[in-house]
Amino acid sequence: MIILQVLLNGILLGGFYALIGVGFSLVWGVTNIINLAHGAIALLGAYITLFLFQYYGVDPFLSLPFSFIPLFIFGYILQRYLLNLVVKAQIFMLLILTFGIEIFLVNFMTTFFSADFRSVTPDYAGESLIIGDIVIPYIRLAVFAICILITLLLSLFLNKTWTGKAIKATSLDIDAAMMVGINPAKIFAITFAIASGLAGVAGSLFSLTQAFSPSMAGSLTLRAFIVSILGGLGRVEGALLGGIILGIVETLSSYIIGESYKNAITLAIMVLVLVIKPTGILGKKYFAEVKH
Amino acid sequence: MKKSVILFFIFIAILVILPFLVSGYWLRVLTQTFMFAAIATGSNIIIGFTGYPAFGNIAFFGIGAYVTGVLMTKYNFSFLLTLPLCALSGFLIATLLGLPLLRLKGHYFAIATIGVMEAIKEIVDNMTEITGGGMGLTLPIMEGEPAYIYKFFYYAILLIMLLTIAVAFLIFRSKFGYALRAIRIDEDAASVMGINTSLFKTISWAISGALVGIAGGAYAYWLTYIDPSTVFETSYSVKMFAMILLGGGTTVLGPMIGAFILELVSEFVWSKFIEIHGMILGMLIILIVIFIPKGLFETFKGGFSFRKIIINLRENKL
Repeated sequence: MIILQVLLNGILLGGFYALIGVGFSLVWGVTNIINLAHGAIALLGAYITLFLFQYYGVDPFLSLPFSFIPLFIFGYILQRYLLNLVVKAQIFMLLILTFGIEIFLVNFMTTFFSADFRSVTPDYAGESLIIGDIVIPYIRLAVFAICILITLLLSLFLNKTWTGKAIKATSLDIDAAMMVGINPAKIFAITFAIASGLAGVAGSLFSLTQAFSPSMAGSLTLRAFIVSILGGLGRVEGALLGGIILGIVETLSSYIIGESYKNAITLAIMVLVLVIKPTGILGKKYFAEVKH
Repeated sequence: MKKSVILFFIFIAILVILPFLVSGYWLRVLTQTFMFAAIATGSNIIIGFTGYPAFGNIAFFGIGAYVTGVLMTKYNFSFLLTLPLCALSGFLIATLLGLPLLRLKGHYFAIATIGVMEAIKEIVDNMTEITGGGMGLTLPIMEGEPAYIYKFFYYAILLIMLLTIAVAFLIFRSKFGYALRAIRIDEDAASVMGINTSLFKTISWAISGALVGIAGGAYAYWLTYIDPSTVFETSYSVKMFAMILLGGGTTVLGPMIGAFILELVSEFVWSKFIEIHGMILGMLIILIVIFIPKGLFETFKGGFSFRKIIINLRENKL
C-alpha cells in the first residue's frame, strides 16, 4: 500500500514539475534560448505570494494573478530589450547571459529577503484527504489540479488564438512567419513573458508545498530542464508527461535508495536521456509534426 | 605576435617581483587571480579551441581538490606528490565522460556537463567516510611563517598558471591545435578531411580536465578546508566562462587577461559594495555578453571605438 502512496506523491509532484517545465520548454522551443534564470523567476513568484500573505493576509491561491502579471511584464521587457539584442549570438552567449540574470536575481532576493528558508502556511495547511491508508494533503491536490489546468489552458491558447498560432509559426520557420506579417521580436517577447508568468505562478504554488530560499533557483531550473528534455521541446503534452515521469522517478528513488541521492539520480537520468535520445521521450522536433 | 610575447614576459617578470613589494592582502587577491586564470586557460582548450561549451568544467577543479584533500589527510601524501595525481584523475574522468558526452552538441553538451558536475558533487557529498561529506575536509596546515606560506602559494599557483598557459600555447601551435580549430569551425568537414574528431575532442577535454584538476589540488591545500559546495561552485563556472568571453576564446592569452580584469574588478566591487556584490557581478556578465560578445581582443583589434560596440550590437540583434 505504501508504494501506492509513493506513486501518488510522485504524480502530485509531477503536476508542479509540468507547470515549471512547460514555460521553459516553450521558450527553448520557440526562441532557442535555454533560460537558466527560469528557477529564479519562479522564486520571485514565491516571494510575491509570501509578501502578500504575510503583510496583507491574502490567501496564497488568490495571489496567483499577482505573481503572474508582474512577472509576465518582467519577462516581456527582459526578452524585448535584453535577450533580443543577443539572440543571434553563439548559443553559449545566451547561456552565460541568462546565467548572469540568474546570479543577479538570486543575489537580489538574498539581499532583500535574506537567505533564510521561508514558508507560506495558511490555516488549512495541515488538512488532508484520507482514503484508507492513503493520505493526500488538500493543498497538494489543489496545486496539482491548478498546474494541470493551467498547462491545458496554455495548450488551448497555443492552438486556438492568433497569438498562439503565431508563436507556433515563428518556431517553425521564422522567415516565413515574417512574410505573413508576424513580428518575431514581439512573438519572442510574448513567449518569454508567458513562460515567466507561468514560472511565477509555479513559484507561488511551490511556496505552499515546501519551504524555499533563493538558493533553490538552480534546482528548479534543472527540473524544468529535465522536464523539457523528457517531454520534447515546446510541447505542452510532453511537459505534462515529462513532469509526471520526473515526479514519480524522484519520489520512487528517494523511497528506495534514499533522500540523499535524489538529485544525483535525477541528474543521472537527465544525462542518460541526453545521450540516448536528445530529442526527448516523445521524440519529435518542436511543433514540426504540426506542419504536416 | 612578437610584441605580445615580449609584453607577456615583462608582465610575468613583474608578477615574480611583486611579492616583495605588496601586502599579504594583495598576495591573496593575486593568488586567487592566478587560480582563475589557470582554470579559464585550461578550460579554454575545450571551450575556445574546440568549441564545446563545457559549462561544468569546474567539476575537475572539485575532483582535483578532493584528490589532494583525501590523499593528504588519509594517506599522508606530500602536497607536491598529489598534484600529478590530480591531473591524472582529471584526465581519466574527462576521457570516460567524453566518450558519451562529446557526441552532444551546443546546449545539450553544456547542460550535460552541468549535470555531471552536480552529480559528482552529490556523490562526493554522500561518500562521507572518505570525503567527510557535507562536514568537509580539513587538510594539514603547512608549516612555517604566514608570510612564507603566502609566498609559497603565490609562486606555486603562478607556476601552475604558467604551466597551463604553456600547454595551451603548445596545443595552439601544434597540428593537434589546428585539428581542434577545424572541429570548431566545421566538425563534419574536419571529419571528412581525415581528422578522428571523437578522439581529438576527447583528448582536448582530457587535457583540459587535467589542467583544471591541478588548480583544484593547489586550491585545496591553500584553503586548508574544502567541502562539496565550495569546490563544486557553479558561480566559478560562470566566472570562468565570463573570463573566457571577456578575453576571447580563440586566443591563448585571452582567458588569462579576462581573468585578471574580471577578478580585480570583482575584488574592487567586493571590497566597496559587500551587500550587492553578487548583483553587480551578474550585471557585469550581462554587459560583457551584450556589448563585447566576441571578447576584448577581437572587438578592439586596432584600437578602441564605440562604433565597434554598435556593430556588435547590430550583428546579434533579432
